Amino acid sequence: MANIESQIFASYLRNPDLYDELYNREGKISEVYQKLFNLYGEHSISDYINLNSKAKSSFFNQGITFQVYDDKTVQEKIFPFDLFPRIIDANEWEIIEQGSIQRSKALNLFLWDIYHDKKILKDKIVPLDLITSSANYLDQMNGIDPPGGIYNHISGTDIIKHKDGQYYVLEDNIRCPSGVSYVICNRTALKKALFGVFNHYKTHAVTNYAENLLDLLETVKPNGVDVPNCVVITPGMYNSAFYEHSYLAKTMGVELVEGRDLFVENDFVYMKTIKGPEKVDVIYRRIDDQFIDPLEFKPDSSLGVPGLFAAYKKGNVTLANAPGTGVADDKAVYTYMPQIIKYYLNEEPILNNVHTYHCSRPDELKYVLENIQELVIKPVDEAGGYGISIGNRLTTDEIAEVRKVIKDNPRKYVAQPIMSLSVHPTYIDETESFEQRHVDLRTFTVLGKDKEFVLKGGLTRVALKRGNLIVNSSQGGGSKDTWVLKK
Amino acid sequence: MLARVANNLFWMGRYIERSEHIARYLNVNYFSSLDAPNQKSQNRQFVLRSMMFMVGNPVNDEDQVLNEADILYKIGLDPNYSFSILNNVKYARENANSARDLISTELYEAINKFYHFVINYPAEVYVKNGLHDFTNNITEMTAVLRGKIRGTLLHDATYATILMGVNIERATQITRMINAKYNDALMAQGSYGDKFSKSFEWTTLLKCAESYDMMRRYYKKAPTSISTLEFLILNPNCPRSVMNALNQVNEHVKVLNPEKRYNKDSTAFLIGRVRSEYEFKYIEEIENDIKSFIENILNSLDKISNKVDAEFFNY
Repeated sequence: MANIESQIFASYLRNPDLYDELYNREGKISEVYQKLFNLYGEHSISDYINLNSKAKSSFFNQGITFQVYDDKTVQEKIFPFDLFPRIIDANEWEIIEQGSIQRSKALNLFLWDIYHDKKILKDKIVPLDLITSSANYLDQMNGIDPPGGIYNHISGTDIIKHKDGQYYVLEDNIRCPSGVSYVICNRTALKKALFGVFNHYKTHAVTNYAENLLDLLETVKPNGVDVPNCVVITPGMYNSAFYEHSYLAKTMGVELVEGRDLFVENDFVYMKTIKGPEKVDVIYRRIDDQFIDPLEFKPDSSLGVPGLFAAYKKGNVTLANAPGTGVADDKAVYTYMPQIIKYYLNEEPILNNVHTYHCSRPDELKYVLENIQELVIKPVDEAGGYGISIGNRLTTDEIAEVRKVIKDNPRKYVAQPIMSLSVHPTYIDETESFEQRHVDLRTFTVLGKDKEFVLKGGLTRVALKRGNLIVNSSQGGGSKDTWVLKK
Repeated sequence: MLARVANNLFWMGRYIERSEHIARYLNVNYFSSLDAPNQKSQNRQFVLRSMMFMVGNPVNDEDQVLNEADILYKIGLDPNYSFSILNNVKYARENANSARDLISTELYEAINKFYHFVINYPAEVYVKNGLHDFTNNITEMTAVLRGKIRGTLLHDATYATILMGVNIERATQITRMINAKYNDALMAQGSYGDKFSKSFEWTTLLKCAESYDMMRRYYKKAPTSISTLEFLILNPNCPRSVMNALNQVNEHVKVLNPEKRYNKDSTAFLIGRVRSEYEFKYIEEIENDIKSFIENILNSLDKISNKVDAEFFNY
């Protein structure tokens, strides 16, 4: 039997200040990882290097790539994939799953409310101006009843494990959360590379996402439609998530359309096929609100479909997710999640929220400005990890700069204590060894009419740069296969 | 199927097929010239000019001296030359990308591998001693792609659209090769009493169309101008002949248009008309005026392609 000195982990350095998921509180290999640790220990590092390069070229050949933009060029890259999986046991998963569903449901009720009676605002649980000043609040959605009563059909919940061993939600993504296709690719890649390890664990499969997604889309079909015609709409093949869009369309067996493939006539939506027009009933859209209909939103958008919003308003087509959901995944609204959950569901939040300071409140603004070193400053309406400043990484000059930026537009910023994301052993190319790297977890929740589903897996994202806390793929993040164990 | 995606699939088929023919043309012409029986056919300038003629970019200045490495690079790997094999493969993959949800994982992966092979092929190796390796890989990979198209796709409208593209392109490329080699045979004649009808260039042409063995089996004689042309144009059983390609296009269009009696403005009607024209031709008619034949068939193929585009891709 391999021991701790086994070759592959021989040079693994543990920083005692970080929460390493491989170890338990006593500093021993944690029970769920024991078998895996032994099995990996039987390999030499050169086996591992070999497997790693094979896995890489397989991603290239399968075209599982995304594009990175800099000033002039577009580069095709693979999403770095780590061969050491993350394991979540059944009990912990139960909390994550229930917590994710709870948040999705609460957000859905919240969205219904703010686009209808606005009770939560009248009761002053959430401040009115937080909503009306949000860039993602859509006036056009007021009074519209989305089919099945669902707004956030698909949610991606970003969760971390803090030093205290507890899970915390960092944000809810309910516009067009991406990443689910990587969950499935990562599993496929790991199975091919290290099939032997699967014999020792009872792991939930992740391939049932597409069927659940299609089920969901069918539950929210427009009134009067018998068998709905569902499609996925993409901005096109140059979009960084195009692989995912095509994957989902292919596995659901539905058409992948672009805006130019659709048109609206008498408030019904049709796609242009080789046999003429064909009516479309449900659209899983992977285009942001502002681009879906040039007549209603950004007039110069060529990605959307003129008249789509009017058809939606008439109830002739379903959009998933509904327009205007962005107002609720705003990082400022996030801070009210515990109150929102209590207000609508009369339940205690299952997953923790990170304490948040609102720069829009004078007293909290003062605290933030005085304690930038200990805080993470986030813009409330940016996605993809852009615009984030981590206080203890900033120089004095940079702190002064951040202070000024916040003071200029306090509504745009919130601050949170620097959370210590747990770390996980990750193979690093440059040093050809395992090192600790920070990880988070994105879960994927599907919410339909009388339907809820959380993919038993989720995307573990890794910040590959040493010490880095930002895991987004656009910022040099990778990912790991994530095993949810059966009971 | 979406009209836009059908267009992508059609052109994916065309570009795959085109890259194959160009690659084989380079390979066969270059290597058969090395020990060609007459001086003209052995002449490197002659071979390079033939290559440029075939890709549709003839060098008309007779005094211009072509540089071998330049020409090979241009046709093989030049990213700035739109007729290059590299660009054909790039276009094939771009079209496949847009139709990615419709084609099988197996087919997409094979196209993607093909693409990575071509864009990563070192140009200096290719022009120095990699011509055979490179072009041979291209023809083999396209054969794999044909197998994946046939074996991993549902034989429905998607499949029919791809194969219409493949066959229209095949007929076009075979005709272009006939044109180029006809031209070569004319130029090469007389150098050592070499007669046009028995020119060495006919053997080369058959090899460029991967039809030499089939032809020998069919005629059991050395190729002549008339038997070669008959075989490559009119023989319906030769899988590379113009006739065979037209027959296939005719079959596949039925999937897209299942009507029994075609409207006279439909693509299916036009294809049927062109096909029947060649079904009842005999080779002497063509041989008398090969120039008009070539113009005529390229023109018809172009018309068919445009008609497909107007009827199915531009709703």
